Amino acid sequence: MRFEIAVLSGPAILMFLAFVIFPVALAAFYGFYRWHGYGAPTDWVGLNNYKLILTDPAFQQVLWHTGLILVLSLVIQGPLAVGLALLLNQKIRGRSVIRILIFVPYVISEVIVGTAWSLMLQTNGAVNDLLGHVGLGFLKADWLSDPKLALWTLMGIISWKYIGFAVILMLAGLQSIPDELSEAAQIDGASYWQIQRRITLPLLGPTIRIWAFLSIIGSLQLFDLVYIIWGPYVAGTAGTSTMAIYMVAQGRNAGNYGYGSAIAVVMFLISLVVALIYQRFVLRRDLQGAVTEGAS
Amino acid sequence: MSRNTRRAAAAAIALGIALAVSGCAGDGDAASGGGSSDGKVTLTFWENAQPGPGAEHWKAAVAEYQKLHPNVTINIQAIQNEDLDGKLQTALNSGSAPDIFLQRGGGKMQAMVQAGQIQELHLTDTDKANAGAAALAGYSIDGKIYGMPVDTQPEGIYYSKDLFKQAGIATPPTTMAELQDAVAKLKAINVEPIAVGAKDAWPAAHWYYNFALRECSQDAMNKAAQTLKFTDPCWTKAGEDLASFIKVEPFQKGFLTTSAQQGAGSSAGMIANHKAGMELMGNWDPGVIGSLTADQKPLPDLGWFPFPAVPGGQGDPAAIMGGLDGFSLSKKAPKEALGFLQFLVTSEEQKAYSKAFFTIPVNKEAQSVVTDDYNVSALQAFNKAPYSMMFLDTLYGQNVGNAMNTSVVNLFAGKGSAADIAKDTNAAAAKG
Repeated sequence: MRFEIAVLSGPAILMFLAFVIFPVALAAFYGFYRWHGYGAPTDWVGLNNYKLILTDPAFQQVLWHTGLILVLSLVIQGPLAVGLALLLNQKIRGRSVIRILIFVPYVISEVIVGTAWSLMLQTNGAVNDLLGHVGLGFLKADWLSDPKLALWTLMGIISWKYIGFAVILMLAGLQSIPDELSEAAQIDGASYWQIQRRITLPLLGPTIRIWAFLSIIGSLQLFDLVYIIWGPYVAGTAGTSTMAIYMVAQGRNAGNYGYGSAIAVVMFLISLVVALIYQRFVLRRDLQGAVTEGAS
Repeated sequence: MSRNTRRAAAAAIALGIALAVSGCAGDGDAASGGGSSDGKVTLTFWENAQPGPGAEHWKAAVAEYQKLHPNVTINIQAIQNEDLDGKLQTALNSGSAPDIFLQRGGGKMQAMVQAGQIQELHLTDTDKANAGAAALAGYSIDGKIYGMPVDTQPEGIYYSKDLFKQAGIATPPTTMAELQDAVAKLKAINVEPIAVGAKDAWPAAHWYYNFALRECSQDAMNKAAQTLKFTDPCWTKAGEDLASFIKVEPFQKGFLTTSAQQGAGSSAGMIANHKAGMELMGNWDPGVIGSLTADQKPLPDLGWFPFPAVPGGQGDPAAIMGGLDGFSLSKKAPKEALGFLQFLVTSEEQKAYSKAFFTIPVNKEAQSVVTDDYNVSALQAFNKAPYSMMFLDTLYGQNVGNAMNTSVVNLFAGKGSAADIAKDTNAAAAKG
């Protein structure tokens, strides 16, 4: 029996070791060197790269940006997704069409979304042009480079892209709530809002908590959209740079591979800690009963 | 499962892994090329020409060389410029480096030399005469030559003669005051005065490099290359010059999200479509602009003038910022690869190269084919220059150069001060 397990899971484990564990270990290894990427690393600097990260104002800045994106994603998308899901769970006309329209942006690749929005949001792009044509010329702005606007532009694009995924999750969650509960409440004289607040939302809780978890992890690792629209240099000045952008800017662009690797390790640790804390304190109730074997 | 089948299965898995590993190794050997017993040699050659006359030129050059040396086969691989560095680095480190590849010298070349990844080139006197001492100096470390130059890239401002005429600018600006005057006149005819692709950082940084070239003495710049300390006040002065120039808003709207060379919306595209009057660039620019015009032909009214003089600077007002394009050989490249490099700097070959890339060849004899007006101006300025300084991000190496570029972008965005450039650059030298 044990042998079959080894044979059947062996290839997967090998792949996992080769493409996940090995690179992580390698990054940890490079993080101890000052290394510019040519030849093998030889200049051992111990924990120096990590000390530099702690005092690097640019890293503190991207950490702040990443945190802001994380919180804003939750605050903007969460209520919006729940609201839309409640709406689309009703029997309204054109419901399936609206569901598809909301979900479409999620299906489009990030590269295409980034390229399209970056073209439309240029100062002489389609968005400003449209504003001018419909008599809202005073709203024209430098959506991408103005540091006061850029982060909100990014949040707009992120919300537009990922809200569909959240709505689909919430809809699935709503499907699993038995109709009998709200019917019984209705008979007892509860209003629509009372039913949503006292029955639907609490029962939707596990779904919301799982969505929030995915959103947090996604925010911590955000890279492609920012890289495509702002690039590694302008993202910093526009206020949209993230940890992953800074890692690539230091590693691939600046050639500080040791330092970049150390940033990757820090990013990994932050994600790991956040994930563990979230599972321990937020998802604990939801996960109870999920593990059926071996739990005492 | 019985013990025997278990053992057999284990052996099979082990064999599979061994095969996979040795298979990879086999591929590596095949890719690195090299000679074989019958004298036939296959070389790999990495360059960055986009489809067009440049790419056609390399095909023709390789065909010509193969005709002269029937035992040699050269496989060309064209790699997009911005992707080249990363790909090359991976190839060099994994032992599957191309035999011949594009080399721009400076700190990156030094890193390759230190890692023992490229060959010293033993050139004959003829080769040295063909390539010219000045260009070879850019590829020399401690008196040893590690790259074969093919063109020089004096940097200056490309401009549209038609737009200048429309705006009533009689002669190209020679001082900063005249440049600002030209900016105002171009604005008056509703054209963006100067295009810059700040999204890519380096095109914006080149403005800083040129101010530094005018503010800093040659000595101060070379000293910085050795110590990587930017303590001379001229570095901050150059930043202040740039900051006050940015204040007159000479650059196009939204320059921070404009890329340099990709598409009609890029800075080169704006010149190609007469949306902007000027662009500061090295002399690959006419080729890029040509590929972005509506009919993909060179821009007929393109002109060139050197970076204007800055009053009170320590640098020589006629000095030129510039780079080189050339080729290096990886450590394992067979001797035939050197033959191809020697072939590239022969006069006939250089003439063809110059025509295909609209650039200035290193071979003095071949420079007679330079007839495009902008190249004639650039060549004259280059020959008059008391010294030429390599692009600073190349000169000072990747990590310092990159930090400098990033801080210049900050200054462009109005977020950093002139003093930050020197400060950030000093800090970058500490990171590994």
